[in-house]
Amino acid sequence: MTVDVDATSVWPEDQQDVAEAIVANWFVREGATVEEGETVCEMQVEKVSVDVPAPRSGELTEILVGEGAEFTRGEPLARIEPA
Amino acid sequence: MADSERELTMSRAMVDAIAHEMRENEEVFYMGEDVADYGGIFDSTQGLLEEFGRDRIMDVPISETGFIGAGVGAAMEGMRPIVELMFADFFGVAMDQIYNNMAKNTYMSGGSVEVPMVLTTAVGGTYNDAAQHSQTLYGTFAHLPGMKVVVPSTAYDAKGLMHNAVRDDDPVVYMFHKRLMGLAWMPAPAGPKTAVPDEDYVIPFGEADVKREGADVTVVTLGLHVHRALDAAETLADEGVDVEVVDLRTLVPLDEETVLESVRKTGRLVVVDEDYRSFGVTGEITALAAENALDDLAAVERVAMPDVPIPYARPLEEEVNPDADAIVDAVRAVAE
Repeated sequence: MTVDVDATSVWPEDQQDVAEAIVANWFVREGATVEEGETVCEMQVEKVSVDVPAPRSGELTEILVGEGAEFTRGEPLARIEPA
Repeated sequence: MADSERELTMSRAMVDAIAHEMRENEEVFYMGEDVADYGGIFDSTQGLLEEFGRDRIMDVPISETGFIGAGVGAAMEGMRPIVELMFADFFGVAMDQIYNNMAKNTYMSGGSVEVPMVLTTAVGGTYNDAAQHSQTLYGTFAHLPGMKVVVPSTAYDAKGLMHNAVRDDDPVVYMFHKRLMGLAWMPAPAGPKTAVPDEDYVIPFGEADVKREGADVTVVTLGLHVHRALDAAETLADEGVDVEVVDLRTLVPLDEETVLESVRKTGRLVVVDEDYRSFGVTGEITALAAENALDDLAAVERVAMPDVPIPYARPLEEEVNPDADAIVDAVRAVAE
């Protein structure tokens, strides 16, 4: 059962009324081993950069939103196969 | 295990090195415009304020002469300041502090003081910021004796060169290209984001890096244009032209040997620079090759910014700032 990487938990307090963001940078590639809490990507909401952590340790199997692509809050950014 | 799979943007790699040096040595501090709360307008200090506080991550008023002079003074008194000149273009208002004090106080004092200071500064165009915010000015800083000049092109290099810059007892100018930093609003090309070890490591100054080996033509370049040259090399490989790409990494000291070795091997040299064509890096490297490897040299081309103020309009800026196609054309010209 895979776990979604989701930016909702780190969405800035003062941007709660904003639903769209973009992925600025991925710091791991598909197939990488990640640890819970490790920053896997950086998103940008209304010019504010926010680090998005891995929700679980495991293998990041699939990136769903690429660099420069827009997404809406709650949309999964990647999938992790828990270790 | 996860460490080895981590890739960082160039800005995060620089911050990694700065944070490490600040933890190791309390004399290290960072000072500049918008470096504290904002984290640097090109992310050069993201997150440092939270860890080190306002005594060591200092925002300063818009007076480059004042705060660069303060950095020189602090360095002469034994501290190890990193001072950010927000845009290299602004060097003009602080040139006396940079050129006459930072660069020369060691000499002028007969060696009785050292100036272990790092001047970080953002360079480069490609984002339509016009003639006063888009220059690279590698030649200007490398021309003035007394300062080491560093130009990273990847995250891995940026971290190792920053460690070395902070530990160096002489003044170092660390010129980072905005387009390589990995900013959300100015996406970097593929290439500068690399795997970066967690632990500290040093890349010595004066060691160029052959980013791609090739037998037919040598391309010598630095900064953003390392990546454009690598793109050009890919294109040319399809045509059967094998290009070697030499990334200088530091202009002072200059790794003459690596450049000459490559030129002696290929006999064909293209020098690529985002700085102005005249009196700069392209002329210097070409002269180096002519003086030392003339018998091996069959052809030379220079690819650089023409000697004009950098235009604001996008199509005009794209016209003057050499792209991969311009490098391809130059390589074809010397390969014939």
